[in-house]
Amino acid sequence: MTTVTAPPELVHVDALGPNGAFRARNRITVNDVAGDPTVELSLVPRLFVRRSLAALHAAGTMPADERAAALARAGRIFVDDAVDGLPFDRYVYLVSRISGMPISVVREAAQGIGRAAVETYRAAYCARPTAAVTDWRDPRTHRGAAVWTRRGDVFAVHAAGNHPGVHTLWLEALALGYRVAVRPSQREPLTPHRLILALRAAGFGEDQVVLLPTDHDVADDIIDGADLAMVYGGDAVVNKYGHSARVLPQGPGRSKILVTGDAWRDHLDMIVESVSSRGATACVNTTAVLVEGDPAPLAEALADRLATMPSLPPEDEKAALPVHPVASARALEQFLLARADGATAWLGGDGVVEELGDGSAVLRPAVHQVDRADAPQIGVELPFPCVWVAPWSYEDGIAPLRNTLVLTAVTDDAALVDRLLQEPTITNVYLGDTPTVFLEPGIPHDAYLGEFLMRTKAVARTV
Amino acid sequence: MADDTDVLDAEIGQAVDEREFIEAAMRWHFDPATGSPYWLERARSLDFDPRRDVHTFADLRRFPNIVNELRTVPIADLVPKGYGPEPEVYGVYESGGTTGLPKRVVFLADWVDKMIAHYESRHAERGLPRGGNWLFVGPTGPHLFGAMQVEMARRNGSVLFTVDLDPRWVKRCVAEGRPEEANRYADHLVDQARSVLETQDITFLVTTPPLLERLTRDDELATLVAKVPFINWGGAHMDADTRHLYRTEVLPNSQLFGGYGSTMVLTGAPERPGLGDDDPCVFDPPSPFVTFVVVDPETGEAVPHGERGQVVMNHVSRGMLLPNNLERDMATRIEPPEGGFGDSVADVTPVATFDGGAVIEGVY
Repeated sequence: MTTVTAPPELVHVDALGPNGAFRARNRITVNDVAGDPTVELSLVPRLFVRRSLAALHAAGTMPADERAAALARAGRIFVDDAVDGLPFDRYVYLVSRISGMPISVVREAAQGIGRAAVETYRAAYCARPTAAVTDWRDPRTHRGAAVWTRRGDVFAVHAAGNHPGVHTLWLEALALGYRVAVRPSQREPLTPHRLILALRAAGFGEDQVVLLPTDHDVADDIIDGADLAMVYGGDAVVNKYGHSARVLPQGPGRSKILVTGDAWRDHLDMIVESVSSRGATACVNTTAVLVEGDPAPLAEALADRLATMPSLPPEDEKAALPVHPVASARALEQFLLARADGATAWLGGDGVVEELGDGSAVLRPAVHQVDRADAPQIGVELPFPCVWVAPWSYEDGIAPLRNTLVLTAVTDDAALVDRLLQEPTITNVYLGDTPTVFLEPGIPHDAYLGEFLMRTKAVARTV
Repeated sequence: MADDTDVLDAEIGQAVDEREFIEAAMRWHFDPATGSPYWLERARSLDFDPRRDVHTFADLRRFPNIVNELRTVPIADLVPKGYGPEPEVYGVYESGGTTGLPKRVVFLADWVDKMIAHYESRHAERGLPRGGNWLFVGPTGPHLFGAMQVEMARRNGSVLFTVDLDPRWVKRCVAEGRPEEANRYADHLVDQARSVLETQDITFLVTTPPLLERLTRDDELATLVAKVPFINWGGAHMDADTRHLYRTEVLPNSQLFGGYGSTMVLTGAPERPGLGDDDPCVFDPPSPFVTFVVVDPETGEAVPHGERGQVVMNHVSRGMLLPNNLERDMATRIEPPEGGFGDSVADVTPVATFDGGAVIEGVY
């Protein structure tokens, strides 16, 4: 007997240009983790990119109160409405299937985008220096005052596909009056597509925010054609753009937890959450735990806890671990095993891949103990629960804690906290039982985006 | 002396008998009295006798691809002896020089006449008027593309404005990791073109797709370009989406048409006239002298019509024989026009290159 199955209906992700949606002839198919074609992503050529950016430059900016209202409306549309025919639940399901992220994590992140959009106007203005006013008409400028102004008009984003939550950040640029061009990740273009359609439905013009999916060779044109840009990527991206005053790199997280004293048992839940929540693919997930004294008991306890996480397909409500196509999972496993050479494995030492039988595989947690606080492994950040546990002592100082997006310090030592806060390469310092994954609108993630997008200008007047 | 090779003097597009044409070319190029020193010497290391064994376009696949030898051959050795002691050489032109030393080919005057006549008839079909001001923004110097514009403009009674591009310098800037220098150079070219477009009435613009994109990047300049009634692109690829955008949004009132050429066939294949906005961009090679075969890169066999494959080019004329050259281009195989040999091609793109699949650390 033969079973005839209808060909799966692919979801089209069109470019969203200044003249509306554009379905390119040049499209790539985005497969789900089992290799089944799921999304057709239009890729636009350089001409489309350049013309779109020219349109953004030529456009005006919406009044601030309209921007605030439209952002809030967009947040509700994103979650409540069918967008481009895609109901919220279907969108969440598809993101889960193509990204391999647990569906509950996707849903929570997507709902978070909706909430963030509502809050984003307030959050964006958190960055305003308290001495600065927002309008030259403010009476305070009579005596001379700082006015908070944009550094440019057009903001470009090379977005990441590791977590839907990355798309909450650029909303602040819209809130501040920038026109925004987003280049989606080819891995997960559904979220920015849905978000930009929601923004347009909420009142942002087609010349205010555009989606420009492109091949790699056109990607730099998006940055080149904008006034300012934000680019997600690894060390290569940071090295490429780190010296540009126009580009804000969003580099590796390498988030860490430091535990002084011997109270780690009271914080094991927080450590587990930091390592493994949010699908473990965020830059705020913990990569290394440094603990005063013998790290073995902590590593063992962490391994015991993480070992119980179930291996499930991403669309299963109980799923908590990321899923990849087998080949990509195996490649990550090989990479881990090579890097783990010389470390003591408490979990995942023989491998981390568990195949689901449909062409996809779960990446299971790995816990390794290294013998020094400055072991090179503690900077190895991988997109699944992969943690390095290292011994730390006051003699090691804060050097091993450098280059960290979020550092949670479990310590009673206020002087140590002072030093951590003063360290330029530690971006955020959380204390006590606060997991590294803590994020709230209005609390800076990597400084306020407004610090990059805005500047103060003096206005003094006699009229 | 090879006798009865008159068929080699046919015009481009003229119906000829396949065997008669190929056999005449083999007699001409491999007769010790008429062949070029290069081919007569090269024939000694072939495992077949072209005069005995090559009768059809398909048989040209027996030849090795010799284009890399054109990097070092003294150009006098490429001229068939049959042209006599004082051959009328029009010029020598070189490949772009993407990989290694450039490849050189010699153009004899009879070939230039044939080629230009063909382009003129194609232009006339499109309604390009005689006379007028032309603007060429592209590679001149050792490059065929620019030299042919000079000749065509002269024969059309047109005045040619030129902005010269040195593509090798651009490639070098990019290869050396100095894209900002390439950028600056492109701006320099655009500035020069702008001044011509601002001050002169241009009826025909000829340029490359990357330069056309830059010429339409800002609205002010795009408005000037959009006033040019005939625009011809060549020398690089134009993707179907870009072509559609030009035709429908950016240059809706211009007649935009492309050419797919290669110095290694000593000319180009013009875009088929009469194509609509949504039709694939079809190029018809100037048969019988230039023919294409679209092959499966794995097997070397021709792909079915409508399928994509890699382009193999042949040039067979009195002045030059360059058979079986596998180009680094992919295209859709299309039926040739009535009477044409080989394949027409559509939607030409570079052969894809793949990055190594190394794992990149990190979460993005």
